[in-house]
Parts: sequence; structure tokens; C-alpha cells
Amino acid sequence: MTNIVHARSLQKSYGQFKALDGVDLDIPAGSICGLIGPNGAGKTTTLKALIGLCDVEGELTVAGRDPRVARHKLMEEVCFIADVGILPKWLRVSQVLDYVEGVHRKFDRAKAIQLLSTTEIPSNKRIKELSKGMVTQLHLALVMSIEVQLLVLDEPTLGMDIIYRKEFYDRLLNDFVDGNRTIIISTHQVEEIETLLSHLVFIKRGAIVLDASMAELAEIYTEVLVTPDKRAQADALGPIHVRELLGKKSYTYEAVPKAELKVLGELHTPTVADLFVAKMKDAKHG
Amino acid sequence: MDKFSLLQYRALIRREILEHRNLFILAPTFLAPILFMAMVWIANQLDPDDLGSMISYLAMLFNGLSPVEMAPIFMLGGIPFIIVLFSCAIVYLLVTLYQDRKDSSVLFWQSMPVSNLKTVLTKIVTVGAIAPFFYMAVLFGFYLVTVIWLSILGVSHDIEIAGIGYMFMAAVVSLLLLYISAIVATLWLLPSVGWLLLFSAFARRTPLMWAAGVFIMIGFLEDFLFGTQFLANWVESRANPNQYLIMSFGDVFDRIFNYDMLFGIVVGAILIAGAVLMRRFID
Repeated sequence: MTNIVHARSLQKSYGQFKALDGVDLDIPAGSICGLIGPNGAGKTTTLKALIGLCDVEGELTVAGRDPRVARHKLMEEVCFIADVGILPKWLRVSQVLDYVEGVHRKFDRAKAIQLLSTTEIPSNKRIKELSKGMVTQLHLALVMSIEVQLLVLDEPTLGMDIIYRKEFYDRLLNDFVDGNRTIIISTHQVEEIETLLSHLVFIKRGAIVLDASMAELAEIYTEVLVTPDKRAQADALGPIHVRELLGKKSYTYEAVPKAELKVLGELHTPTVADLFVAKMKDAKHG
Repeated sequence: MDKFSLLQYRALIRREILEHRNLFILAPTFLAPILFMAMVWIANQLDPDDLGSMISYLAMLFNGLSPVEMAPIFMLGGIPFIIVLFSCAIVYLLVTLYQDRKDSSVLFWQSMPVSNLKTVLTKIVTVGAIAPFFYMAVLFGFYLVTVIWLSILGVSHDIEIAGIGYMFMAAVVSLLLLYISAIVATLWLLPSVGWLLLFSAFARRTPLMWAAGVFIMIGFLEDFLFGTQFLANWVESRANPNQYLIMSFGDVFDRIFNYDMLFGIVVGAILIAGAVLMRRFID
């Protein structure tokens, strides 16, 4: 499988603060990739770098192009929704459609109108008159109506209630995902996207601490619910994270053969949220 | 450049008009009735004999003139519109690359396949050709109403000012001259256009303060270090409206094709390139 994103040693500093500190990244084409990290980890900077909105040092190719050289050419193949309501507030809904139709050769206006007809967004309203959820729905309808290879979403559901969030991801899955197109999502709400993802990237303090497919994760990471009598044995195998769970202790291991772990207790694949906590602490202490 | 790439300019210009309709459409639309009502009010305040004398003077002024010769007199009536257009153009150039960064909508605009060069060029075309077009359209309505009003005043005082058709043609010629003047002014003042765009693209807040402050600082440093005032003198030399006001069609060639104009265009182009780069690198 070819990679739609290939990055090596990406560096970006704001004064003394290193937003990206040698990011290496490979995202396969056709995947749904979650870019997860705590606040200030470098998620937005990474995403902005991918679409040429942030100047970075290092090797970077997105959809076969260097975003720093010809952003406008790249944007014929990439769509972006940011974490803040970035649609211009003074525009009316119909005017946004006019604008995108006028500048994007791959925009399908009929499809956008059809998608909007399933929402309660009136075409004559200004963006500033819409709720946050409606603005995101509108933006999603716009990008769904553009035939692109890559969709970049930076905290797209931030500030939305659960109904809008669920609707957003349902629509994303039904109308965008076709096995060929790629989605990169950055979010704090890990649990909501866990089931969608085929690829996972964790970022911490400007560096990638995990970059693997979901299938690889199941192979590499194991969670074991260890009984008290086997804790010494479990500790000896070098867990990356240990937490209390209903009076028992749950140990998370990285790259330890399952055969060795089987004797300690019941084996599970850790959830993305658990793995996130484990890796963040691991990165912090390691 | 393919056809779609050219057609993108239409959507980009439409965006500029929608976003800045207060400056381009509402400002002249409010100005025209205010000016007309002011003229009517002043005429009503005058003694009928004085008004009659003024109409006679106007009739004498227009007597025997062709529409082309009458046009510069009509251009005087456009001065308030030109002043407002000039002020709105300065405001526009200062906010146009700043406002969308301030409200974060820049992320939306930049997520579209439009280059920064095309965005900035659109803004120059908008301020140099599109905004003056709207002003001229409103001024056309203003002239039309004024010509009819003057004709009625003339008839009521039993004085024939000039043929209404003649005055109407003179108004159209003056609009053409003013429109060409606006385009020539944009080229002549391209260094100022570039300077304002540069700081609109650069400033995180108060672009006016940056644009004015840096200019004053450079002038001060030049004076302090070299004891010269080249920058101040050069800017002053370009501030004279006679250098871009076109009073007859024969002036156009001389105004455009001269070394001063060429030098200004080169300086303007460098500053505009700076604005494009700033747009690209400021995040």
C-alpha cells in the first residue's frame, strides 16, 4: 500500500518552543488515521504542515506533492476542516456554495445541495446565524461534495453536542469512506473515533510516539488482568503501564509475546484510550 | 493557465465585493443622496435672484462647449466620491489580508485551491478597477439626477443651461475619465498599495499602526544616519493628484508610459511580492 503522507524529521519552532521535534510519519492511502495527542503536543501544527499552512523543515510529501511548494495545487486533492468555526461568518450558505463552485473544479454543487437538504440549514442564512453544529455540518457537506484523495480534520467535533458528533461521524463513514480516500482526524474524543480508525498515530511534545495500523496494534500491545499472586512475574516482564481495575491490576505490554503473557491472566487488546494513557505516561517517564 | 483558473478570478472578485460591500457599494450609495439633498437644500436657501445668477453663470460656462470639453467641469462633482473612494481603498488595503487571519477564516480560504499570488492580485484588481466601477455606477445615477434637476431649474428661471443631452454626454465622458484616472492612480500609487498590503499580511493587530509606524521609522533612520530625506521626498513627489488625474483622453499614454510610473510599478511589485510571501509564511 502506498503512503499518502510521508514525513521525515519535521521540525517547527515558535521562538524557544519546539512544536515539532523530528516528526516521522507514514500514513497509508485509503486509511482512516487518528492523530491523537494532548494539548500542545503538535497535532494542529502537524496537520497545518500537511496542507501547506505552516512552514516546516524536513522532508514532506502529501498526495505526491510538497505542500510547501504549491499549496493551491495540493488543495485540489485535499480538504481541510479545522477545530474552530473557520467558515467566514459574513457569508450566506448559498454564497459559500457559489464561492467553492467558483474556485474548486472538483466541487459537485448538486451533491452539496442534496447533502444540505438532509440538514436543517437554510440556504439564505448567514454563517454567523448558524449554530456551531450547523456550521460543521455545512463544512462537512462542502468537503463531502469535493472529490479529493485526502480529508484532514482537526478536532472537527469540538464544542458540538453528542447528537451532532454522532451524525458527523456517521456521515463521514457513509459518504466519504470508499477504501481509496484517506482521512486524518485529530481529536481529544478518542473513544468516539476508535471504531472508525484503521491507523493510529500518537504525538507527544512534537514527536511521534506511536505510528501503527490497528491490526499491528493488536499484535504489538497486550493488556493483561493480573491476579495478585502473579504480580511479581508481571512486573518482571516490563509493562509500559499499570493501572488498578476493580481490585485487580491491569498491565499493558508492548512487543511481549502473547505466549509469555498468557500465564499471567486474561489477555485483551487495549482500547485506544487506554493505550493513549499508557503511551503518554510511557513517553513522559521514558 | 487553463480556463477554470481564469474563471476563479470571478469567484474571488465576487468574494471581495460581498465581504467589503460597505466600502464598495454602500459608501457611495449613501453619499450620492446626501450630496444631492445638500445641493437642493443650498439652492433653496439662496435668494431666487442669486440662484438665477448662478444658473446664468453655469449657462455661460457651458455655452459653446462640446460634451468632451464640459466633462472636466462635471468631474469636479465627482470629487467627493473620489475622496470617499480613496479613503475606502486605504481601509480595504489595510484590512483585506488582516481580517481573515483575525477571524480565522484564512484557514477556509487557504483550504481552497487558490494561490496566495492570485488572492493578492485579486485584491489589487478589486481596489483598482472593481471598486471604482461601483463608484462610477453610483456617480452616473448622481449625475443623471443632477442634470435633470439643473435642467428643471433652468426652465423655471427661463434660462437654457445647455442641452440636457449634451450635459448627459458630458457626464458620461467625465465618468470615463474618472474611471481611467482611478486605474492610472492605482498604478501610480502601486508602492502605497504594496506597502499597505504588506502590513495587512504581516500585522497581528493594528495594521495601520504598523504601516505608518514603520514608514516613519525608516524615514527617521534615513535622516538620522545619512542626513537625507529621499524617502519622504519621493513619497511627497508621488502624492500630487495631477500625476494621475486624467482630464482628457490624450493624457493617458503620457501618464502611463514614463520612467517615474515604471519605477513606481517596480517598487510596488516588490512590495506586493512581499505581501504574497508574508501571506505564505505568517501562521
